[in-house]
Amino acid sequence: MDVLLDGVLALCLPLLAWLVLRTESLSQAVVLFVAFGLLSALGWARLEAPDIALVESAVGTGLTGALLMHTLSWTEETPPDIRARGRRRPWALLAVAASTLMLGWAVLALPADSPGLGPLVEARREESGVKHPVTAVLLNFRGYDTLLEIAVLLVAALGARAVNPRSERPTPDAGDDPLTGELFRMMMPALLLVAGYLVWVGDHGPGGAFQAGAILAGGGVVALLTMRMGPPRLSSWQVRWALLTGPMLFIGVAVAPLFTGRRLLELPRPYAGTLIFVVELALTVTIAMVLLMFFPGTRPPRAGAEGEP
Amino acid sequence: MNPWAVYALSGVAMFSVGLVGLFSHQHVVKRILASNIAGSGVLIVLVALARRAPSGVPDPVPHALVLTGIVVSVSSTALGVALARRMARLRADAARASEPPPGSGGEGP
Amino acid sequence: MMGGTALMAWSVALPLIGAVLSLLVGRAGVRLVAGVASVATLIASSLVAWEVSTQGVLRQQLGGWGAPLGIEWRADGLAALMLLTIAVVGPLISVHALDHLGDREDREFLPLWLFIWCALNALVLSADAFNLYVTLELTTLGAVSLIVVRRDLPGLDAGLRYLLFALPGSLCYLLGIAFLYGAYATLDVGMLAQRVQSGPVTWVAAGLVTVGLCLKTPLFPLHVWLPPTYTGAPTPVTALLSALISKGSFYVLLRLWLEVFAPVLDAEVGQLLGLLGAVAVLWGSVLALSQTQLKRVVAYSSVAQIGYMFLVFPMATSGARAGVIYLVVSHAAAKASMFVAVGNIHQAVGITELGGVQGLAYRMPFTFLAMALGGISLIGIPPSGGFIAKWLLLNESIGTQQWWWALVLLGGSLLAAAYVFRILRGSFLPLPPGVTVRSIPLGNELAPLALALIALLLGLVPWFPLDLLAVGASR
Repeated sequence: MDVLLDGVLALCLPLLAWLVLRTESLSQAVVLFVAFGLLSALGWARLEAPDIALVESAVGTGLTGALLMHTLSWTEETPPDIRARGRRRPWALLAVAASTLMLGWAVLALPADSPGLGPLVEARREESGVKHPVTAVLLNFRGYDTLLEIAVLLVAALGARAVNPRSERPTPDAGDDPLTGELFRMMMPALLLVAGYLVWVGDHGPGGAFQAGAILAGGGVVALLTMRMGPPRLSSWQVRWALLTGPMLFIGVAVAPLFTGRRLLELPRPYAGTLIFVVELALTVTIAMVLLMFFPGTRPPRAGAEGEP
Repeated sequence: MNPWAVYALSGVAMFSVGLVGLFSHQHVVKRILASNIAGSGVLIVLVALARRAPSGVPDPVPHALVLTGIVVSVSSTALGVALARRMARLRADAARASEPPPGSGGEGP
Repeated sequence: MMGGTALMAWSVALPLIGAVLSLLVGRAGVRLVAGVASVATLIASSLVAWEVSTQGVLRQQLGGWGAPLGIEWRADGLAALMLLTIAVVGPLISVHALDHLGDREDREFLPLWLFIWCALNALVLSADAFNLYVTLELTTLGAVSLIVVRRDLPGLDAGLRYLLFALPGSLCYLLGIAFLYGAYATLDVGMLAQRVQSGPVTWVAAGLVTVGLCLKTPLFPLHVWLPPTYTGAPTPVTALLSALISKGSFYVLLRLWLEVFAPVLDAEVGQLLGLLGAVAVLWGSVLALSQTQLKRVVAYSSVAQIGYMFLVFPMATSGARAGVIYLVVSHAAAKASMFVAVGNIHQAVGITELGGVQGLAYRMPFTFLAMALGGISLIGIPPSGGFIAKWLLLNESIGTQQWWWALVLLGGSLLAAAYVFRILRGSFLPLPPGVTVRSIPLGNELAPLALALIALLLGLVPWFPLDLLAVGASR
């Protein structure tokens, strides 16, 4: 039964991927992509990666899907050149097959069982200050990767914000829509609770700053799209502090050991757990803020005052 | 065949589909979708590799790498679509400026 | 105590702190914060280079865990020289950017440049294959954000084009790293070098890593994004892209190739990369010669110069390695100087055609002096860094009895001489009537000259960089 499920899932994923890309209509392609993402979340779960299933379905699929959908309303749906695509397809199929065969050859040549670094992580997990091995790797053993990753998020937010069209103030009557208003009021406390829980649970189970930040950002995106609030702008100092407290705290924790002759990010063992928790809490806000900054606050011009009545 | 190998093969197939799609499509949204698909493929391969432990407990290191990878890929997607949006806006503005608007005036900045 | 290892940490942390603080202070203090951070980082990088040249290779286990569990840094002579290059060339370009870009743009330029600086320093020091991926991505996204800083259509087009080529590049690289981890259970470059064996996994991983990094650098025939991107980006950003950012992915390729892959791959693969490099030299130079836009001439010249760098792979000796690094460094200075000079010319006359330079040598002497000195280094005439680099490569091609690369070196130089001459000749013609030359700030005239003088200096006193390069260059 399990074998069958794995086999079907493994077969469906590339096929669905192929379908996403060959669909003519862009909006259909995005919908299929979201379906692809949900299916792959099933794959993550089957591979015993609950942390990833969480992040992937919230960020990788949910947020990306929403972003792409939102973008479609801006960009023109250029009619694809049917003839050019017809010529291209056999070539593309051939290239996919060749590449899959070559890479598959390497996959099959890999050692069939290898513990990887698992035992080593297990042996030193106690010293890391957290119980959940993935959090231990992410924030302690390879915490430096995460520090740079925060920089990646900030840079992308800067770039995206710089080119986002100037936002309009939230319109006062948008909030009066009874359905979204009620939904929003019911959702917000639950979201905060879930986010807080996820950061706390990251210490000993699947969860952490990214999961929590994504949940918070999800609530924010709803607020943005229902025009309940404008997108966060860097010109406001509150936004800047919310965005940058996490990175500053993390950098501070990273460089503090240098002053006592220790190495970058060498957390003092007794406090490691606490420091990681505090950093994660602050990063949650940063991550939520960055993900929010990816969304433009306005509706596309076509849907606005111009054009259609 | 081991389940990990099934998923790893599926991952490399997704990667190939995405990579070829990236180079055979013109529309920016399609290309961004393709890069996301290729990215998912790579991440599936990594997680599949983590499942090879004889003890049955997955190796946490690839999981952490994948979490980082997802954040990186979301960042690049977001940047990509922001650029695409802005370009569409500028092109639309340019097109509107080149032909006199029927209502003439009344349009904001 | 501030030992060499702590200095390495500061060379990465200081630009990062500067970037975050400059965002935090808001519009008023950006320049001040960025300036302080730049000076501090320059000092840290120079001290790292000094420590390396006196003490030998520096290592640091980040977080104190050590490979393979944690991430390690390693600074040998090559890394130290790159740190120095970034710390000198980058700020000179950003000084130029301040006057070239508008007020709003440089408030956005400075934090992004500091992020890129942090990423490049982190890249140069890192000895961890996955960490290298993160630094590459940080560099790429930073570069894209910089390319679009003007928010105009050509810039946006250039940025999107760059992003959509860099993304598959990173993904190929990441999949290659996944295979390596799957086979050898480590991400540390040094440990990979010890454990790597010849076989399908290694071959496929090497292929993926190489293709991915060649896409980003880019090597012919993957270079199609380069000319439109370099032309569409604001000129100071093009200078950064060409001088430093494209060198980042090449550096990673060089490291992984020489340390990990070369011993387990057939020599033919190296020959293939060399061949593509040779085609890039000739193709890029010929196209540079046939361009009518000034900026495109210099952009195609980058395609050619990147081609030379790939000649290291067929020769794979320590002499060739030194030659190629010398080329990387002197090209960084010379090409930055030329792009910055092009920016000055555009600013002064507003003409992008090659003919726009007519008569300008008399009005903008420093800019054209810089252009000439930079050109000398590109061609490889003594005394210049480019000459030393080509001389070393020429020696190696004879020494390893691969004389055909010598022909490429000479042919490329002749073509470079032709396109540099084409630019300079026009500048000495009389100024055509009706052209108004706007005066540009003295700082902007001196920035390219300073960069060109570095390229010249590399040719006059090659001992320090060559000695530094020898530190830790066992392979």
